[in-house]
Amino acid sequence: MTKRFPGVLALDRISAAFRPGEVHAVVGENGAGKSTLMNILAGDLQPDGGEIRIDGAAAVIASPLVSRACGISVVYQELSLCPTLTIAENIMMSDVAARPALSLVPREDMRQQVRKALARLGMGGLDPDMTVGRLSVAEMQLVEIARAIRQEARLLILDEPNSALSKQESEKLFDIVRQLRGEGVGVVYVSHHLSEVLDLADRITVMRDGRTIETIDNEGVSEGRLIHAMVGRDLGTTTPWALQVEAHSDDTDTVLAVEGLVAPGLDGLDFSVRAGEIVGIGGLPDSGKDGLGEALFGLCERRGRVVINGVELRQANPLAAIRCGMTFVPADRRGAGGLLTMSVAENVVSASLPRFSLAGFLRRGAVRHAARAQVARLDARISHLGQRLATLSGGNQQKIILGRSLVTNPRVLILHEPTRGVDVGAKAEIYSILRGIAGEGVAVVMISSEVPELILNAERVLVLRGGRLSGELTGSGINEEAILEMAMAS
Amino acid sequence: MTDLVGAGARGAAMDRFSLASLLRARETGVFIALAVLCIFLSLATDSFLTSLNLLNIGRQVSLLGIMAVGMTFVLISGEVDLSVGSTYALSGLATGMLIVAGWALLPALALGLFTGAAIGFVNGVLSTYGRLPSLIATLGMLSIVRGVALILTGGQPVTVNLRNGADAGVLQAFSFMGQGYLFGIVPMQLVFFAVIAAIAWVVLSYTSFGFRTFAVGGSAKAARVSGISVNWVKIWAFVVMGLLAAFAGILSLAFLPSGQAGRTGLGLELDVIAATIVGGASLAGGEGTILGTILGVLIIGVMRNGLVLMGVSPFVQELMIGLVIIIAVGIDKWSMRRSG
Repeated sequence: MTKRFPGVLALDRISAAFRPGEVHAVVGENGAGKSTLMNILAGDLQPDGGEIRIDGAAAVIASPLVSRACGISVVYQELSLCPTLTIAENIMMSDVAARPALSLVPREDMRQQVRKALARLGMGGLDPDMTVGRLSVAEMQLVEIARAIRQEARLLILDEPNSALSKQESEKLFDIVRQLRGEGVGVVYVSHHLSEVLDLADRITVMRDGRTIETIDNEGVSEGRLIHAMVGRDLGTTTPWALQVEAHSDDTDTVLAVEGLVAPGLDGLDFSVRAGEIVGIGGLPDSGKDGLGEALFGLCERRGRVVINGVELRQANPLAAIRCGMTFVPADRRGAGGLLTMSVAENVVSASLPRFSLAGFLRRGAVRHAARAQVARLDARISHLGQRLATLSGGNQQKIILGRSLVTNPRVLILHEPTRGVDVGAKAEIYSILRGIAGEGVAVVMISSEVPELILNAERVLVLRGGRLSGELTGSGINEEAILEMAMAS
Repeated sequence: MTDLVGAGARGAAMDRFSLASLLRARETGVFIALAVLCIFLSLATDSFLTSLNLLNIGRQVSLLGIMAVGMTFVLISGEVDLSVGSTYALSGLATGMLIVAGWALLPALALGLFTGAAIGFVNGVLSTYGRLPSLIATLGMLSIVRGVALILTGGQPVTVNLRNGADAGVLQAFSFMGQGYLFGIVPMQLVFFAVIAAIAWVVLSYTSFGFRTFAVGGSAKAARVSGISVNWVKIWAFVVMGLLAAFAGILSLAFLPSGQAGRTGLGLELDVIAATIVGGASLAGGEGTILGTILGVLIIGVMRNGLVLMGVSPFVQELMIGLVIIIAVGIDKWSMRRSG
């Protein structure tokens, strides 16, 4: 079974061959193109060039249905089960959907087939009539796999299948993967966990920047070897920020101190940030870094101490955080970030309403003035201050949301994925703005999945793993290999 | 003023004063529909375009309008209140009973309004801290409040008159609120509606609370990141709604001047929501204007009045009103000119 796609947009002339009866791991950083490749195989996306061959014959995977008919089954990281239906109904959904509208559903027959599929995975103990919503995440994952193999999948694609599983549950999953391999199914395994990949895979394809770097047989390959292949990106001529600024002396004031922070995904985190410093936070998707911003800012329950300029934020409350000088730019720009239905000016002042109100009335002149100042400072391209935020481009939206944070006169600025979905030009502008803000003495915490972004901007990078600090890099010690090693170390 | 701060959410017309944006404004469509309706009725009947009839329409829509103003707050904040018809009944009846029991006007009014505010507060707390969808919470309150009104009155009609024990002076003032005319010509109900709408317009457009209401309805998550207390903004919107529903109920009793817990304000919540939606508010929250709501209320009022003048049967009237709701909201959705 061979598939080639020269010349896809997010994928640059990649080629890979997946064989029956092998476990083929695909590794690479975020944005390397793994998801795009999987989406093409699943029929969700169409390649712009190149060809896919199945059993030697050229095939067009025009839709998810075609993909399934070709024997390809994808189990996504986000589960796609319907939680209110039973296990049997979920597994048999496509069969039921194919029947005429008024035909009776053959319940007993369904149960039989589902029991067989579950038994094949060593899950015979599960009652097919149980509602999926009551299962554990691991069990749901297995139900997804059961659904995939019952459809006679010849190529099973697992995308980060165990990011939510415990060690034992993962082991069980690996056993099932090996068993399927023994039955002649080709398994494509996408994962960030290199130790597992080395443990499980027959061959490994490394992707980087939309290209397949190499496909290697898994014999005597080391983690270091893989990391090296995943990195090695051309960072351009820009000098990392860390090399431009003089190292901060230790007597500079610590602005933000975090001790024993426990929150969803975080399990006892300590760190501190000094005035004028940009600290990068890196880690894999399940490292806990994605919940850090919410936890610091008080958007979720937390334990442990968060101290700003010696004042402890006892309550998890965004308003209190803003009053103490903390401000937050969330990753989910269109959801939690901006007020899309409101104007640019209103977005800019929305986190500082008390300052712009007099006896409950908004001081419109002051609002306009502040908004105009931010738009000018951030060089946001808008037609006028009353323009709806929703009508701006991603980069300009992000600038306005950054402006909202700056209007609060922050001492601590927390950014989560500050340039996600932002084009390259606006990215560079945002970086230079952030350096300017740090230059004014603001402590900047940049949480990012994009390693180059951390290298370029941070003077210090903290790498998280399993909700804890895995390691810390400073100055010229910050490089991609070191960050990945700390993030993936087992 | 070339760059007014006024949000897109408050109507594109506020972005810039140009003809193009004025035509794009949501209110413009409703206004044109209203104008067409009025012109048609002026030509089709002799009695429509008389100052007497127009003031009469003004009085007829006032109670609906006062409640629709409250509903505008609730819808903008991203919630909905189904209990307003019951609040309308309970508050009016309670005030009436107090007056009949010989209370002075102001304490009776205050207690009636307080009842409405309290119901709104409960609605708000259930829909926020209680984590119930407001559709469910206020559906429950619809029955509960109606039940309280029935228990309180024993199911008997409440009639405010001298014979039942009302003080003559109090009765006169109370009746004036519902039946009187300012300067002998403008119905008092319409005066109340105008004043309330004006205050609400200022609150929504110029105050920090109005801003927060739009922000919370536009995106609750983003509002939280801005340090806005989402729950309390919503609770206050429900309290405003409760107060206005109570006030409308009191005016209704002052006008009639009799009510019955089993009948007063039955199904009124749907008329209120319909008028507000026709005026451009969105059930998804974050959108709506007082001007739009007034136009929505007028469309429904003018429609009813005109159909009566034309001698259309009441059965057909109901059908026509339903069509107006679907067409008015449909035109807005189908024209696809809004960015989202």
